[in-house]
Amino acid sequence: MTDPAHLHGATTERQAVTPAGQAAAAPATAAATPASPRPAVDVRDLRVHFKVHRGLLGSQVVKAVDGVSFTIAPGETLGLAGESGSGKSTVARTLVRINRPTGGSVLLDGAETARLGGQELRAYRRRMQMVYQDPYDSLDPKMTIKDAIGEGLSVRGVPRARRRSEVEELLARVNLPVALAGRYPGQLSGGQRQRVSIARALAVSPEVIVCDEAVAALDVSIRAQVLNLLKDIQADAGVSYLFISHDLSTLRFMADRIAIMYVGRLVEYGTSGQVFSQPAHPYTQALMAAVPDVANLGAARPAPLPGEPPNPASPPPGCAFHPRCPLAVEICRTVAPPLVRKASGQLAACHVVPDAPEVTP
Amino acid sequence: MDLVADVITVEHLTVAFPAREGTGEVVRDVSLAIGAGERVGLVGESGSGKSLTARAIMRLIPQPGRVTNGAVLFDGAELGAKSAPTKWRGTKIAMITQDPLSSLNPLVKIGTQITEMLRYHRGLRRAEAKARAQELLRSVGIPDPRRTMTRYPAVLSGGMRQRVALAIAISCDPRLLIADEPTTALDVTVQAQVLTLLEQMTADHGSAVLLISHDLGVVGSFCDRLLVMYAGRIVESGPTTAVIGGPAHPYTRALIASIPSLRGELPDRLASIAGSPPHGGAQAAGCAFAPRCPMAREVCRQTDPALLEIPSLRTDPADSHQAACHALGDENWNQAA
Repeated sequence: MTDPAHLHGATTERQAVTPAGQAAAAPATAAATPASPRPAVDVRDLRVHFKVHRGLLGSQVVKAVDGVSFTIAPGETLGLAGESGSGKSTVARTLVRINRPTGGSVLLDGAETARLGGQELRAYRRRMQMVYQDPYDSLDPKMTIKDAIGEGLSVRGVPRARRRSEVEELLARVNLPVALAGRYPGQLSGGQRQRVSIARALAVSPEVIVCDEAVAALDVSIRAQVLNLLKDIQADAGVSYLFISHDLSTLRFMADRIAIMYVGRLVEYGTSGQVFSQPAHPYTQALMAAVPDVANLGAARPAPLPGEPPNPASPPPGCAFHPRCPLAVEICRTVAPPLVRKASGQLAACHVVPDAPEVTP
Repeated sequence: MDLVADVITVEHLTVAFPAREGTGEVVRDVSLAIGAGERVGLVGESGSGKSLTARAIMRLIPQPGRVTNGAVLFDGAELGAKSAPTKWRGTKIAMITQDPLSSLNPLVKIGTQITEMLRYHRGLRRAEAKARAQELLRSVGIPDPRRTMTRYPAVLSGGMRQRVALAIAISCDPRLLIADEPTTALDVTVQAQVLTLLEQMTADHGSAVLLISHDLGVVGSFCDRLLVMYAGRIVESGPTTAVIGGPAHPYTRALIASIPSLRGELPDRLASIAGSPPHGGAQAAGCAFAPRCPMAREVCRQTDPALLEIPSLRTDPADSHQAACHALGDENWNQAA
């Protein structure tokens, strides 16, 4: 099965919801066979549960991520959206192994990584890098830019003699003047700092870069520069992105496919074209309606979604979204809906939205 | 705008901080007027001076900054010349900020913080104030006001805290409510709730609103009129539809073009503005945007352009659309539009 949205540079495919585009939604369950080519990242039924101690009386389990599956093809961008407490940052932190998964598997280029340790884990982290929201916190303030980037190069085993020229190459690649190499992070602007973070991630030649709200802290006029840069790097290096953002319009620009999270689970998963032209899950619809869009100012503001995202420590029973959902029926209060293919082509977890008609293979 | 008297008029406001080089002026010659019940948006990036403009109105400029020029008139009379800020702050002009966790007292229960306001400014007795506080909390959509009043700010969610801050802000029916990035820290669905509530509450209480945000979408969907700030100056002002539909200043244009949209055609690349905004005041001469401006010419580097009316067919003075750019009226400029 050829899968255009999985191929590098297939951005033009994602506007139209073609039959091929529909096939682009990756397998939702561990049982399904992955689409070809082999995904760079294959996350299957990922669970990250935290034990939280509550005084003397014992502990409670917070299911920050509870059964999440997705794939990212080489050179592809998967956009992950959700509100605070949805678990999207926990997914990111688990992928780079700041958090340890408590269940499920994370396959990098087909190899299981969830239980790696020691040397193997270090090798793994070289292939999976992360760019954080706040470049003020993620760069060592006492390290010059060239040292911060050079550290990555030494990890990759670049001989000392070649480091300087490689640092300069990396700076050029993120459109920073070489003159900045001797400066400290505190002497740079936010946009420059985020470019350094990107250069630092690139220094180890990763296959995947996890961008967790990587442009959220930047000024509006700087955001576009960094987003364009990330796209250029992807076109050059064929790196895959897991691009996490609360900002749906940024995701629409960046991502080939979109996953929407709500309280630890995926509620919608499909190509960018599918999700943005015909959002299936009522939560996705509400999220999109809530975005004040410069291109659509004439429209009356729709009635806002009531309530707030629930505390992941005590999610509502059944479908976690049911207390806020305008479509909720009785079954939603008791049974969590599975993530299945819907009539509009993407996967969604909702009892009410009609499923796609059964197709016999 | 002539029909309703302006609630607040800011004239030639300049705010400066001591600086080693340059003037240190972070707000430069800002003039604005807001009519009764009007909703005006102030948009800009970090360091553009939008929050300091608001703080200058409230007379809350942090040390060692000070207002070096200009005046703030409330109902036509100069604010603060004769009366202590406590006489009008909170009652005539109220303000809500990005995170109420920093504006609410963390050690005082919600109930006390609201009733204190009503007792001090409104002269209500304890029981009256308590009843009124419950009413206010209910009106901002807090489900269990009686219980919420016994709680501390830290235990509430960001959205709930912002509702409490709004309840306090409107408790004395202010003529002007300044909302400085009120939804920036909130989730997008909660942001929609707070904006809807802000719209409804200020309409009910007849308050004018000055909404400050970096998010053009937020101010665009909420405000009648927009003011765009860059490096301490207002570079464009006009009705929302005109500023967003037909932006005149190259900065406003670039800003709008650089925002990805949820609808319409998807560009392969975003239009971006080279460089970054200046911080800590502008350079000595010329237009502050010139170093980043694709249309900059010699004159732009030498003299700062004045904020001028954009020639148009509109006749209503309320529709005044102004921009500060030397290229205004050039043939090139019209073609670029």
